[in-house]
Amino acid sequence: MSSTSVRAEFPLEEGTPPAPESPRWRGLGTPLVFLAPAIFFLVIWMVYPTLRTMLRSLYSDDGDRFVWLENYERLFRDDRLLTAIKNNAFWVLLIPAAVTAVGLIFAVLVERVRWSVAFKIAVFMPLAVSLFAVGVIWRIMYQQDPERGAINAAISGAKGFVQETGVLSTAKPSSDALEGTPKGGLTLKDAIRPGAVATLGLTAVSAGEIPEDAKEAVQPEPLQGGISGVVWRDFKPGGGTPGEVEAEEVGLPGVTVELRDAAGKKIDSTTSEDDGTFRFEDVGDGEYRVAIGASTFAQPFRGVNWLGDKLITPAIMFAYIWVTAGFAMVIIGAGLAAIPRDVLEAARTDGGSEWQVFRRVTVPLLGPVLTVVFVTQIIGVLKIFDLVVAIAPGSSQDDAATLAFVMWQRAFSGQNLFGLGAAISTFLLVLFIPFLVFQIKRFRTETA
Amino acid sequence: MKRHRLHLLALLLMLVLAVAAAGCGGDDDEGDEAGADTAATAAEETTEEAVSGSINVLAVWTGAEGEAFQAVLDGFTEKNPDVKVSYKSAKDPGQVLATSVEGGNPPDIAALPSPGLMKDFASRGALKEIDFVKDAITENYAGSWLDLGTVEGKLYGLFFKGANKSTVWYNVAVFEDAGVEPPEDWDAFLEAADTLKASGVAAYSLGGADGWTLTDLFENIYLRTAGPEKYDQLADHEIPWTDPSVKEALTEMGKVLGDTENIAGGTSGALQTDFPTSVTQVYSTPPKAAQVLEGDFVGGVIAAETKAKPETGFNVYAFPEIGDSGQVVVGGGDVMVMFKDNPAARALIKYLATPEAGQIWAEKGGFSSPNKNVDESVYPDEITKKTAIDLAQAEVFRFDLSDLQPAAFGGDAMFTILQDFLKSPKDVDGAAQKLEKAAAAAFKS
Amino acid sequence: MATAAAEIRRAEPVVIEKGIGPKITRVLSRAPVHLILVLIGLFWLIPTTGLFITSLLTPSDAAQGGWWNFFVKPSTWTLENYRDMFDNEGIVDALIVTAQVTLGATILPILVASLAAYALAWIEFPGRDWLFLIVVGLLLVPIQMALIPIFSLYNTFNLFDSIPGLILFHTAFALPFAIFLLRNFFAGIPKDLMEAARIDGASEFLLFFKVILPLGLPAIASLAIFQVLFVWNDLLIGLVLAQNNQPIAPHLASQLRQFGSNLDVLAPASFFSAVVPLIIFAAFQRYFVQGLLAGSVK
Repeated sequence: MSSTSVRAEFPLEEGTPPAPESPRWRGLGTPLVFLAPAIFFLVIWMVYPTLRTMLRSLYSDDGDRFVWLENYERLFRDDRLLTAIKNNAFWVLLIPAAVTAVGLIFAVLVERVRWSVAFKIAVFMPLAVSLFAVGVIWRIMYQQDPERGAINAAISGAKGFVQETGVLSTAKPSSDALEGTPKGGLTLKDAIRPGAVATLGLTAVSAGEIPEDAKEAVQPEPLQGGISGVVWRDFKPGGGTPGEVEAEEVGLPGVTVELRDAAGKKIDSTTSEDDGTFRFEDVGDGEYRVAIGASTFAQPFRGVNWLGDKLITPAIMFAYIWVTAGFAMVIIGAGLAAIPRDVLEAARTDGGSEWQVFRRVTVPLLGPVLTVVFVTQIIGVLKIFDLVVAIAPGSSQDDAATLAFVMWQRAFSGQNLFGLGAAISTFLLVLFIPFLVFQIKRFRTETA
Repeated sequence: MKRHRLHLLALLLMLVLAVAAAGCGGDDDEGDEAGADTAATAAEETTEEAVSGSINVLAVWTGAEGEAFQAVLDGFTEKNPDVKVSYKSAKDPGQVLATSVEGGNPPDIAALPSPGLMKDFASRGALKEIDFVKDAITENYAGSWLDLGTVEGKLYGLFFKGANKSTVWYNVAVFEDAGVEPPEDWDAFLEAADTLKASGVAAYSLGGADGWTLTDLFENIYLRTAGPEKYDQLADHEIPWTDPSVKEALTEMGKVLGDTENIAGGTSGALQTDFPTSVTQVYSTPPKAAQVLEGDFVGGVIAAETKAKPETGFNVYAFPEIGDSGQVVVGGGDVMVMFKDNPAARALIKYLATPEAGQIWAEKGGFSSPNKNVDESVYPDEITKKTAIDLAQAEVFRFDLSDLQPAAFGGDAMFTILQDFLKSPKDVDGAAQKLEKAAAAAFKS
Repeated sequence: MATAAAEIRRAEPVVIEKGIGPKITRVLSRAPVHLILVLIGLFWLIPTTGLFITSLLTPSDAAQGGWWNFFVKPSTWTLENYRDMFDNEGIVDALIVTAQVTLGATILPILVASLAAYALAWIEFPGRDWLFLIVVGLLLVPIQMALIPIFSLYNTFNLFDSIPGLILFHTAFALPFAIFLLRNFFAGIPKDLMEAARIDGASEFLLFFKVILPLGLPAIASLAIFQVLFVWNDLLIGLVLAQNNQPIAPHLASQLRQFGSNLDVLAPASFFSAVVPLIIFAAFQRYFVQGLLAGSVK
């Protein structure tokens, strides 16, 4: 494959003029005409405000006093800002590469199917919906409660196949008579002998958890040679007396009660009736323990805490990729489309496999376009704040904060700290311009 | 070359324009101040002369509330047909005003959600004094409302809409099932919480994601445990946040926040729950919590987003007394301020101070007027009437403390610190120290 | 010049899909690619589907959570959220304003940027590289930073609350990215083509209009769609720089209640706003893929 000849034919960055036969350089006149409108706009709407903001950062928040670099001091002493800088670093290191890669993969894959329009629309849709709405959607998707948040609902559904939720997931013992924790199962503290009655009172059972067929609880009769008992909701309006079966208190059917020997080994088990009673008939003489197994209290999936401190930044990052992949895909797609077919044909006839063609020809030819996407993304993530505002709940904002977010907070959300806000903006610019220049230069030397 | 010179000239012109614009921007601020002085010394208008002009009003009210406020404004334009009032709503008026004030073109009148914000703008010279309604306020409002609208001796704000924040809204069916009655004092309150837990429903619904719900809870407790004098001192930062009275209030608050099993969603759930969800989850099927501790605007959320009916589905009781605190109310309100002084704007401010203005909205519901001369009978239902009357006739009334602070503290740092406190409710000293540090920084700048 | 241009026109615009596709199928079987794309596509649609369903629920149903239950109980849907949104007066005016601003703010930056990009790509002049770097660096300027100075500038020049004012602001902020993209795109145009055209004696302007612009169409089309998207959905700029002539996003935002969850306003509004950009995207996306260069140079 003559990759070098390809590269020579397609100068990637330089628009070098051809042989001196047709002189290009007609003085500054021509380029100036081409550039004048752009310069007009950029100077007035971008350069002037930037300069003015830089100046503003040297004044106090209310604009009255000239305070030199005091705002910058505040900036560096602000904890939240330091977290923000750290977060921004993560964003810059991870996201532009991820978005560019995802966009490239999508753009390449989608060219091969005929229904590409449908796929493109699906991936493009997040961009069409406003960024604020995106934030709201994902905030809801990430909710911890599996009944609210789609992601946890999906996980819960998957888990549900594997593990059943217990009949009573929130119950606790109503008195000291029962010991243990719901996680490990509850055991009656005192051992009992045949002919005794075991009362297992549970509380914190909500009215909604009580099965439909539950009847009023009754203190059962002692069973000759066996053990009888009752599992019931030890609560009536106003509280009632714990440990005693009272009127208005309801038995709990369907609870698995275990009979264990004195050492704790399970001998038998049974399920409670509608009124909560259960019986073990004809047990031999000896001491026994009655328990409710842990499976009865198996907790439903509580949900992964996506919006908490630890996971909030990855959560926002994922949402960001979801939005921006469409952007990368479209731009790279345009770049793909501009590759002349015959170049690829030539490369293939030279005997390259698809992968080689992709790696050695397509990707380098896409160089300029990939650069645009990559660099734009670097800048995009430096400016990110809409998603942080919309997705991160107030409690996680500190951990999710980015520089642009802190700037917006300080200057625009009613705090009116304009001097500080201006300082943050200036800091952002000053800090990252050299970085940007370096990146662009690196791309140029790589692809040259 | 000729083209050369023309281009250079164009560039030069642009630069000159840019510099001139920069210069003009700076002058605006000075111009406003000069205007303020002359307007303030103008004689007060005593007669209801017909005024004319066109004014812009900015406030937060949309939807049903927006319509109600528009009705109030219509009442004004009826009396002053030559005035055109154009109302714009914004979810965060503070944000919009920040840019428009700094940029030199604010609306004529705006409704600010907190006096702290009013103080910020006043200290930057953006507000115009409204001395001309001082008599009307004295006549129609309890004393503290006049003080609240005053900054350094000058009157800038008129309170139009009030909010009673010492209310607790509960799910009637859950209370009945648990056999609990609305508690009147703090011990009964905590006991009721235990009973509710035993009945299987979490007692508290906390909107921890919206930090202001936590500050409201703190303020209600603090006013009752420390008393109104200390409350005022704390609001002015005359006593530090590490004062024992603060720690005492935080400890009481910890009894609620620390009862993880009794909070809907547990601590981590509460931290993610925003305020509207904290209300709707009390009335969902099945309900996730028994009560939500927030102000009278909860009623509006219930009406819009749940199917609960008044008195059969939901009801309200006053925040319980602690010790011998008596019936005290922590409240909030929207304060009307004037950014531009002109006859039409003055007329609107005067109108808003009258009981008639308040009555128009009160009739429609969802509105508590701090104006004590608004006739009780106009409130459309018992629940609204109760919360409104509690507010207007409270023996002791104090404005929401976080709203009185500089925005950097009361609108931001205080929220985050209390959210951290929710995460670790045993760390009372730590929370107090963080609060003091943030408050000191905010009051200094 | 004429011959080169004629040659280009003669070469049929071949859609790349047809070119690469059949070749690939000989090497790979189609199924895995299809499957992957279908799965990815479906996954990608989940959140927006959620939003759409939420827009069809009553506020109390939406507050309950669990919009996926809709698939189980489809009978609870309602159009009241959309009805309320359309009932609101001023929405038509807002749409007209937005259409005007979007049109202006899409055409103007493309014109200005293509001119500048061409100069930066193909015309030699001193300081060219530095200028390009500065322009790209301007991408860093956050919109918030420019809002306040421009706000007061507009007040001085009476551009506040005006459609030209909005158009000019959007244009300026679109330029850094537009110039960046187009310049890199133009730079990739084969030198031979440029040479051939110049040999034929074309002036810079002719070259620009007859050669560069048509060849740059995919990039210009992409630029256009993103600019339409951005301007159409823009909230911040419209909020600050407009008062009575608000574009659609600030107008809808003014419906947000202070205390409610606002999903019943936000969800239908988001979809409604998304319709126009989506239609434009679907209609124009074929321009993204037309390779006018295909098989032409010889």
